[in-house]
Amino acid sequence: MRDDLIAVAFLLPALFCFGYFAWWPVVKGLELSFQQTNLVDPAEWVGLLNFRRILDDPLVMTAVTNTAFFAGLALLIGFPLPLALAVQMSTVHRLAGLYRYLVYLPVMLPPVVGVLLWKLFYDPDSGVFNKALGLVGLGPYPWLQSTDSAMLSLVLEATWANLGSATLIYLAAITRVRPELYEAAETDGAGIWRRVWHITLPQLRGTVLLLLLLQLIGTLQVFTEPFVMTDGGPENATITVLLLIYRYAFVEGDYGAASAMSLMLAAALSLLSAVYLWATRRWSDT
Amino acid sequence: MQGKFSAAAAGLVAAVVLSGTLAGCSSDDGGDDGRVTITVQGMPTKSDPAGRKAFLNQIAQFERENPKIKVVGSDAQWDPQTFAAKLAGGSADTVIRVPLTEPQGLIARRQVRDITDDVKTWPQYSQYNQKLQAPNMDAASRIYGLTEPETAYAMGLVYNRALFTKAGLDPDQPPTTWEGVRSAAKAIHDKTDAIGYAETTTNNTGGWHLTSYTYSRGGTMEREQGGKMVPAFTEQPTRDALQLLHDMRFVDDSMGSNQLQTQADVQRRFAAGQVGMYIDGPGAYVPIVQKYGGSKEDLGVASLPQDGGNATQLGATVAMVSAKSDKARTAAAVKWILFEYIKPFYDPQAARARAEQSSADPEKLVGAPAVAAFPEEVEKQVDAAIKPYINIPVQNFEPYRTGSAGLRLLPEPPVAAQKVYAALDPVVQAVLTKQDADIGGLLKKAADQVSVELERAQ
Repeated sequence: MRDDLIAVAFLLPALFCFGYFAWWPVVKGLELSFQQTNLVDPAEWVGLLNFRRILDDPLVMTAVTNTAFFAGLALLIGFPLPLALAVQMSTVHRLAGLYRYLVYLPVMLPPVVGVLLWKLFYDPDSGVFNKALGLVGLGPYPWLQSTDSAMLSLVLEATWANLGSATLIYLAAITRVRPELYEAAETDGAGIWRRVWHITLPQLRGTVLLLLLLQLIGTLQVFTEPFVMTDGGPENATITVLLLIYRYAFVEGDYGAASAMSLMLAAALSLLSAVYLWATRRWSDT
Repeated sequence: MQGKFSAAAAGLVAAVVLSGTLAGCSSDDGGDDGRVTITVQGMPTKSDPAGRKAFLNQIAQFERENPKIKVVGSDAQWDPQTFAAKLAGGSADTVIRVPLTEPQGLIARRQVRDITDDVKTWPQYSQYNQKLQAPNMDAASRIYGLTEPETAYAMGLVYNRALFTKAGLDPDQPPTTWEGVRSAAKAIHDKTDAIGYAETTTNNTGGWHLTSYTYSRGGTMEREQGGKMVPAFTEQPTRDALQLLHDMRFVDDSMGSNQLQTQADVQRRFAAGQVGMYIDGPGAYVPIVQKYGGSKEDLGVASLPQDGGNATQLGATVAMVSAKSDKARTAAAVKWILFEYIKPFYDPQAARARAEQSSADPEKLVGAPAVAAFPEEVEKQVDAAIKPYINIPVQNFEPYRTGSAGLRLLPEPPVAAQKVYAALDPVVQAVLTKQDADIGGLLKKAADQVSVELERAQ
């Protein structure tokens, strides 16, 4: 009993911090989404007005579509790449530390610095990408300047910036795969990709499924790239849900609408996660 | 992309958390002995020691003249992301300094104090240029801010004198019409490696600049109809302005390829000698020369080119008082604003002292043209007082000074200006990135969007 009390006493500060700084704001956000407030005068309850305002805004549908497009592209490009890199790196033993360092380096850069660097690289007049591609007779490409290529350009930067973490997680998981499985497969004449398909992937499925869910949640909350690189342009081609929430709150000062949209996003992400976990529960069983 | 944290969500959380944690922590309290403490934005950061020292001297002098007011300098800049949270938590500075694009929103959201009674007791108020004050009032003519005369400018044309010379143009005769701008931009593009004319299109600057272009062509962004404001930017002046941009971009190829630029991007490129012309105020001298290392001899400023409008747009910084200030602090704040930002523009002695101080500060301009805040006879006395301390090549601003004098000075669109700008940014972006852009269709779509916002705001 005394030990329990001591444990609770140690736990209390953490519980207080977590409750006050994490859960209380969530509760306040929920409340704000049904209010109109200038954060000075007492807030006014407005029922579903904030939600109606959001649904009336034609930009919302554009933002939702763009966000889904970003998440889809990031899934296509950004999801398999770390896995492929990890598999490749697991077979290399010489200078392995250097490769790990290089692949993780972008993660250590502050996100805004990385995004600003890529913004310079993408400059159609003087950017390093067009200069380099020009040397082999390609381009110039408009990158961020075209509604057709702007979102893809953001995904490429985001993939570069984030693949380090996933690669190292996959690499760590691969080292846990029992080597005798590979030896048996090799004895049976399996090449590297057959070994990956039949041994590595099944052994990693828990990690793969978790990282896939985290990536989905992360990409559906994309903000820094469009905020810093394009401000949602050109022609709203890269405006995303979070960028719109930012504009509601900090450009228009409509905290109620911003909270309401945040709530809708949180609900959508919760639903998505629940469906995902339900749909993949069979594969998750290890 | 795992672990990505949304700045927007974090900001919202911060706003809510601060509203709880900081309540009651106000340092802006009035005491029983009648002494009040105010915090004031505008103090230069430590990277500008001369400016910071001068500001602290100003505070000391103000406190000597007003022994019951204690002033605490703040080097915080206006930041819309944190202002509301600080306001809710009672830690917002008493005096805030905001761009002219902000007062209407702050007034509508009741986040700033009505300072009418305090301002009206100021003897020189009747002489103060009311055009500068219009954006700081509500529909009932109540006053919520004071425009700082030093920062008040008419939108103009910033141009690179060296590139003009290189392109065979006369730097003392910059273009005064938009057709003139077009041919000068083409000449710069053809004869140098530089971009002839640059435009900003993000963070609402595309819509903001389009407003200036429209004014210069005799148009307006909103028009009264049946007692309410409706969008007017589908009319010919705005179409013509966009058509010119489109032609400079795709017919003349004189605007470069990067069309998603902020104002800072353009200023940086201008400082590097990569841009021939763009529109801005004379205050662009500070970022271009002091911050980005551009040549002060090469920088020229002219009045906004015209095509029948004989008008330009007003820009400025406005000093306001945050909403949680009580009566005593509000009165003290207005006293400070008048002392720090207004008095050196009508009192020759204060003007001389300020100019002497500013001339030692590399981030301050002495002698840059600004919109006249007081009648001509007052301005002349002030000009004479500061003349020995001028620290910029004034001859490079002469086309601006002479050209702007005859132009009508128009404020921002009266209702929901930021929403108008936000809806027009994508239009300007489309015109500059798509060769087959349908200008009429784009404007119509933006007008439909703005109509809803105007209806909601009125």
